[in-house]
Amino acid sequence: MSGASGGEKRPPPNWILQHPAYQQMKDLQIEDSAQVHAAFLVYMDLTEVRRWKEVSCVKSSELQVVLLEAREKEGAPTLTILPLPAHQSVTHKSIRHVLDRGFPVLLCAVAADSTLVYQRMTDGLVTPDPPVGPFQDMGRRQHRKRRQQR
Amino acid sequence: MKRSELCSRRKSSVGIASSLVLPGRRTCPQVVLMEALSCGERRLGSDEEYAAPAVGVSLCDSAPLVWRMQDLRAVRAQGLVGALLGSLPRTPRQNGRLGRPLLLLPEEEGLLRERRAAAALPDRCQDWGGAELRQKHEEEEKKSFEEQSVLALEDRKLALLRAMTGAESGATSADEALRRRLQALDQNFTFPQSAMAVQLSTARAGLSYCPEARAFLQAYGPTGAEPRCDARYQVFRDLRGRGFYLTSAGKFGGDFLVYPGDPLRFHAHFIAVCVSLDESVCLLDVLAVARLGSNVKKTVLLCSPGPDARVCYTSLQWSGMI
Repeated sequence: MSGASGGEKRPPPNWILQHPAYQQMKDLQIEDSAQVHAAFLVYMDLTEVRRWKEVSCVKSSELQVVLLEAREKEGAPTLTILPLPAHQSVTHKSIRHVLDRGFPVLLCAVAADSTLVYQRMTDGLVTPDPPVGPFQDMGRRQHRKRRQQR
Repeated sequence: MKRSELCSRRKSSVGIASSLVLPGRRTCPQVVLMEALSCGERRLGSDEEYAAPAVGVSLCDSAPLVWRMQDLRAVRAQGLVGALLGSLPRTPRQNGRLGRPLLLLPEEEGLLRERRAAAALPDRCQDWGGAELRQKHEEEEKKSFEEQSVLALEDRKLALLRAMTGAESGATSADEALRRRLQALDQNFTFPQSAMAVQLSTARAGLSYCPEARAFLQAYGPTGAEPRCDARYQVFRDLRGRGFYLTSAGKFGGDFLVYPGDPLRFHAHFIAVCVSLDESVCLLDVLAVARLGSNVKKTVLLCSPGPDARVCYTSLQWSGMI
């Protein structure tokens, strides 16, 4: 097709590297580039897909990670989001560090294929939601079923 | 299965447990547990006082077993659940309702030791050899035989009297014969051994023949050798101190299942996973256990004992964000 010198089409510039948000995160000087990449993917998900408000990135010096802060909508409380690549490990201590910031925490695990899973983390013992009624006493039905099976 | 169905089944199964009471037999462990439960309720206020005598624990190759009924009651009254292992004599081929012995969790045994409420019982009653047991049994049998012969004589007399008074006034000769038989009865009556009713005492089947506890089990010291064991014990003690009931959570992949009250009456609210603060956990494992928890409608608790003897808890919940 073209000549040997300079003929090959240059690969398109990596849009992630050029994204201002990514560059902002880069400026925080976190060594773990996989974590920064994960943080960026979560950022894009929150801003573009879920349209959350006031999404910003902060650095956690104890953990050396990028954290995100965002609100789900106007007037909603601020949440801290901890984005982590799914293959990494985490200690309870680091989770407590993030919880100590005072906001409710969302842990987001980023898989290799960019799948995102969000888990809510709260301090203390949070009772699960009670079951919804109306309740019906099953009575002897369970035993009747078993006898019929025999 | 819907949660409401589960609740209802639990309520109905509680009813079934009480229906296992066979007439005259008050030794069914489930019934005892229900009784202990109602006793435990009355004692809710005084949970801290452990004035009860020590619980006898038999060690079977390091597995702590509780055999005696009063010990099971005492254990339950202290808020420790354990797991029943044995089969019930009347309903052997099922795993739904089990009988004694009660296997204690290592943490439960540790807690009993700490409260100085556990005492070791010997595995075999070496002092009570077979000969002594047999002798005791024979003595009891003889006593029972004597009692029964007296009663049988009474019965026979009554029967003859009834026959006499029921006879027609005209048949005096039959009457006379009966009267003579009655008088002869006292001398000639023999109660055959084969007619004796033998009582089988299942309630005392050898378990309470053990002499009372000798050595109090030593308090559970902080081993430090296995950090995870220590973490589990600290968490167990803290949660029990807050009034929760804990059982093992083998079915759910965690360390403990945490109930707000007695497990016979409530579903578990939490799956407790005990880790030390510095222990590194793979994120995929965290996701897996959190997902499991949300599927069974329980909150996953990450528990770690902190530096100042406090335990910190983090609840994991499904975010609701698909």
